Amino acid sequence: MTRPLLQVRGVSKSFSQTTSVSERFSSLARILVTGKPKLTLPVISDISFDVSPGQSLAIVGGNGAGKSTLLKLITGVMEPSSGSISKTGSVAALLELGAGFDPEQTGLENLRMNAGFLGLSVTQVETHLEEIIAFADIGEAIHEPVKHYSSGMVVRLGFAVVAAVKPDLLITDEVLAVGDESFQKKCIRWIEHYLDQGGTLLMVSHNMYQVQKLCQEAIWLDRGVVRQKGDVFAVTQQYLAWHEQKDAKAIAREHRQASLGHYGIEAMHLNDAADGEAEVLSGGTLSVSLRIKNSEPRSPVVLVGIVRADGSPVYGVATDHDGFEVPTSVNGYISIACHFTNLPLLPGVYKVRAHTLDAEGLRVIDSCEQALIVSGQTRELGSVRIPHHWGNP
Amino acid sequence: MSSYPWRLLAQLTIREIRAKLSYSSLGLVWIVLTPLALLGVYSLVFGLIFKVRVPEGLGVPFVVWLAVALWPWLAFSEGVMRAAGSIRQYGGLISKVPIERSLFVWSVLNATFVLHLLGYLVVLSVIALLGIDLQWAAIPHLILVLATLYLFGLGLSLLLAGCQVFIRDLEQLLPILFTLWFFLTPIIYAPQLLPESVRGYLYLNPITWWVEEVRAGLLGGQWLPDTTLLGLGLLATVMLVVGAWVFQRTSPFFEDFL
Repeated sequence: MTRPLLQVRGVSKSFSQTTSVSERFSSLARILVTGKPKLTLPVISDISFDVSPGQSLAIVGGNGAGKSTLLKLITGVMEPSSGSISKTGSVAALLELGAGFDPEQTGLENLRMNAGFLGLSVTQVETHLEEIIAFADIGEAIHEPVKHYSSGMVVRLGFAVVAAVKPDLLITDEVLAVGDESFQKKCIRWIEHYLDQGGTLLMVSHNMYQVQKLCQEAIWLDRGVVRQKGDVFAVTQQYLAWHEQKDAKAIAREHRQASLGHYGIEAMHLNDAADGEAEVLSGGTLSVSLRIKNSEPRSPVVLVGIVRADGSPVYGVATDHDGFEVPTSVNGYISIACHFTNLPLLPGVYKVRAHTLDAEGLRVIDSCEQALIVSGQTRELGSVRIPHHWGNP
Repeated sequence: MSSYPWRLLAQLTIREIRAKLSYSSLGLVWIVLTPLALLGVYSLVFGLIFKVRVPEGLGVPFVVWLAVALWPWLAFSEGVMRAAGSIRQYGGLISKVPIERSLFVWSVLNATFVLHLLGYLVVLSVIALLGIDLQWAAIPHLILVLATLYLFGLGLSLLLAGCQVFIRDLEQLLPILFTLWFFLTPIIYAPQLLPESVRGYLYLNPITWWVEEVRAGLLGGQWLPDTTLLGLGLLATVMLVVGAWVFQRTSPFFEDFL
């Protein structure tokens, strides 16, 4: 078995009180005498994992979960309060857009300096210079001071240097999000190539698509502790579902406040699942049951739709499209369900949305949304399975 | 120390020097102009207005007597003050890029020393061109004296840089303290000008010894290393050890307190 490139063992980090002058004074004294300051604010606690050569690991988690702190500890910018981190091989980190760039100096000068920070010697930089400049692809701006750069240009330059260094372990913290489409693609292609060549990646990102594309495994950090660790698809699906749930709760709360006299959706159930998330097998049956308040003699038009986790629609259908008569109310409520059999959705996280419209089908009266996890194992791409067959042309 | 990033130190030092020069329109010209202008101001104020006298028997003009000691002090004081603030100056970098932190202190001190020593060279050359005899045989001795002063400055810089991260008031305090230090050091006056009862106290100030040693060389012809130089070397070593210890102890926590 190969030795891990990175070993993180029981790492915790707490910050010290740094606001008042006397606190800072006593911290200094304490550090000089005992070697450690007084710690008060725990940020991450007891985190352990290994990264082996060739592995690609993502760290996901909400804002303030401690992701960036963890990366800082790993790169050595910060010291852990307890636990140990050991690294073998060369490490390059892109922690922040333009970290280490002096805004007054030109791109070229900064490029040289940054390469130096990452461990390239002056001669190595000179041999790779053409390549780095070509990768950054910012034209004559390379001779301009960095303060005149757009944020995208800064990222280009930073990434180009890292690409030239070709470290054993590459650490990135949500930096690719700034570049434009074509540069992002270029970076992703580079990372894929780098991984193919046996490179090792540790990345923090909020872009689950990138995470799933680039990483095999993922760690979900929640308020400083590891909540889940394992296969990237399993972790990201759970993570997204958790977000959906949080969202759904927030929407439900708003919803209740704006509760309507009639045509208001009282409840929505997916396959009789309790509130929150529902899980259905790809190819199985999905039933969306609704309970709608109604005090009018006329019934509303009901629309049910499925959207992807990012909100882009997959399919939607209304009762008046199908010519279905919405039943009249019983005791002030309408009960109605829409059944999708042989559900052609591919595995992933979706949302089911239901809307009530006025009797003419012109105005949306109420909306409701719930997360849906479609499970299954397939290598097909996209959102839906379209009937097809292969054969001779 | 073999793993110390020496190349990076050189690179950072050069960058620091270039930054100082290229931000002004005249750039390199200032290396020559600033020391001469400064020398002019000092000789006007102290030589003509206050009529400070040179100790008898040396036979050199006041300006020369002053210049010989002023530049080592400028290099030391400005170097230490700027180096003490270097961790804050490079705070953005320190919290993002994992590199040895003492590089920043060191490179800032180096850059300031290099620029002031170039100024020193200009001033000494001008003095020589004016036909005033300096004791050129004392140059090797002078280099040793300046080297020990540099090491002392490095130790003090590391100590102050480490502390300044925690105690930000130092940033405001240091210029005042260094101004006081300047006047407590016999640079613009000779120790002989002071009443005998307080003169002894001057020698509690380590920089007094350095200043006297520089003058003893260039003006007095002292060119063999003596016990004073040895003592200064020892003092510098102690300062360096203490400074390095404080810095090494505090640097893991810079990011938390920056």
